[in-house]
Amino acid sequence: MTAVDALRAGAEWPEPGDPAQPPPLAGFVVSAFSPMVAAVAERCLRRGYGAPGSPRRTAIVIASALGDVASAVHVAAAVDHGTRIGPLLFYQSVPNAVAGYLAARWHLTGPVVCTSPAGDELAEGLAVARLLIDDGDCDEALVVVAYGAGPDRARAVLVSAPEEDA
Amino acid sequence: MSGGPASSPAAVTGVAVVSAFGRGTEALLDNATAGRPAFGPVTRFDVTGRRVGVAATLPGDPVLVDELAGVVDGACDDAGLTRSQRGDTPLLLAVHGDPGLARAGDDERPGRSAGAMAAGIAQRCGLSSTVRAYTSACVAASTAVADAGAMIARGHADRIVVAAGYLVEPDQFGLFDAGRALATDGQVRPFSTGRSGLLLGDGVAAVVLESGAAVRRPGGAAHAWLAGWGRAGDAYHVCRPDPAGAGMARAIGDALRRAGISASQVGYLNAHGSGTPHSDVAEAAAIRRALGDAEVPVSSTKSVVGQALEAAGLLEFIVTALALRRGELPVNAGFLGPDGDCPLDVITEQPRKTDARYAVSVNAAFGGANTALVVGAP
Repeated sequence: MTAVDALRAGAEWPEPGDPAQPPPLAGFVVSAFSPMVAAVAERCLRRGYGAPGSPRRTAIVIASALGDVASAVHVAAAVDHGTRIGPLLFYQSVPNAVAGYLAARWHLTGPVVCTSPAGDELAEGLAVARLLIDDGDCDEALVVVAYGAGPDRARAVLVSAPEEDA
Repeated sequence: MSGGPASSPAAVTGVAVVSAFGRGTEALLDNATAGRPAFGPVTRFDVTGRRVGVAATLPGDPVLVDELAGVVDGACDDAGLTRSQRGDTPLLLAVHGDPGLARAGDDERPGRSAGAMAAGIAQRCGLSSTVRAYTSACVAASTAVADAGAMIARGHADRIVVAAGYLVEPDQFGLFDAGRALATDGQVRPFSTGRSGLLLGDGVAAVVLESGAAVRRPGGAAHAWLAGWGRAGDAYHVCRPDPAGAGMARAIGDALRRAGISASQVGYLNAHGSGTPHSDVAEAAAIRRALGDAEVPVSSTKSVVGQALEAAGLLEFIVTALALRRGELPVNAGFLGPDGDCPLDVITEQPRKTDARYAVSVNAAFGGANTALVVGAP
């Protein structure tokens, strides 16, 4: 049995009808990374949970080989040219930040884990999620995968323990 | 309820570390125990125009991937692993990323992911090709340790190397300076009155974790045991910790349950202790919430070696383990006086002797991520 067998909901960005770029996310600048992660996660959570409600023991796992490259490049250019670094970039420089946004909005009290897979991003994200669920630190996990340096696209899945484990 | 008692705690059989005090565990432990800070002017890169120009750094300009390979080799040698045993051992690596990624061309970038870095180090050090790279900011390393403990306890692996590294560099330094997070008086003063923020520091470390069965091989010995772990989220804010400390308290509670111990058995807590005004208050609330009236001695390794970001959790896990083995609890440096909002038994002035069997190492990160690791004496 794998975590894929316990899929509760899934979503992608873009889906048919979506613009290539996700809507801006308040507090996040320069890069599409966090807005795209938030957009695909919101879509997945709405499909799985409907609306934010009572606290849930749901983990957030973000798997992205390159992470937020656009923010990193922006900061590096500012450092190299001696220009000002915007204070908002301080906290958005790590993928945890957008996970914190999602956790607060949806009351998800499980662990926050971010990885940079060397191989199949979704497979690694699901493996991380399954370990957290099996180990008992959460009941379910939202796995978000951001593909490419843009990122170019993103996918989210909400998984729970298989029925025989629940 | 989560975190039932671990059926088989993992042995820490190999340790290697690099900090601003140099290469090796003794220099780190001696200075951490005495509470001698390593902070000084940054000379590795230009800090002109920054509010703060202080960090805890090694001399020169060390190369992260080389230092990581060095500690992985060192930890494997310390554990006495054969080449064959190394070849069966997965690597869990905690890093912010490849320091060259942001300045690499588009074509080079795929080869400069943190995951690719982990794969390269595993290959260079003769480990198995099973790798995972954690990038969860200041809980990256402690999450990797917790996951390694879970994998070993669940029989996914008999032995895992956990490595982590951060070397102070201009981009993160610039970000922390822009975020006004750095201490303006050149010292990190966790839980103290007058604290003004954190300072960054070099930290590169590796441990070998093995199942109890594996450590019973001839010549096998444990520096310490990973007896329990917990990971939990605040669900509170993008970057601010929950002032009530609920998430961190759950992580500590889960770690104690996995270890099968009560709060009264915890003889030391190595705090996240960043030295920032709000974070320390939230952490103190979490510790009181988790441990109740148990008066547990507390200190923060960041008060001497600074904040090593993704590597901090492993550096602090190692200090916790070695301090327990030595029977001497480290001083919380930079302490000017008690803060009423941080009602903890902070270790000041002198290290304390202990015969405690258990200690807890706590970490927190942006996104409301929290971890707790229970260390058992050998």
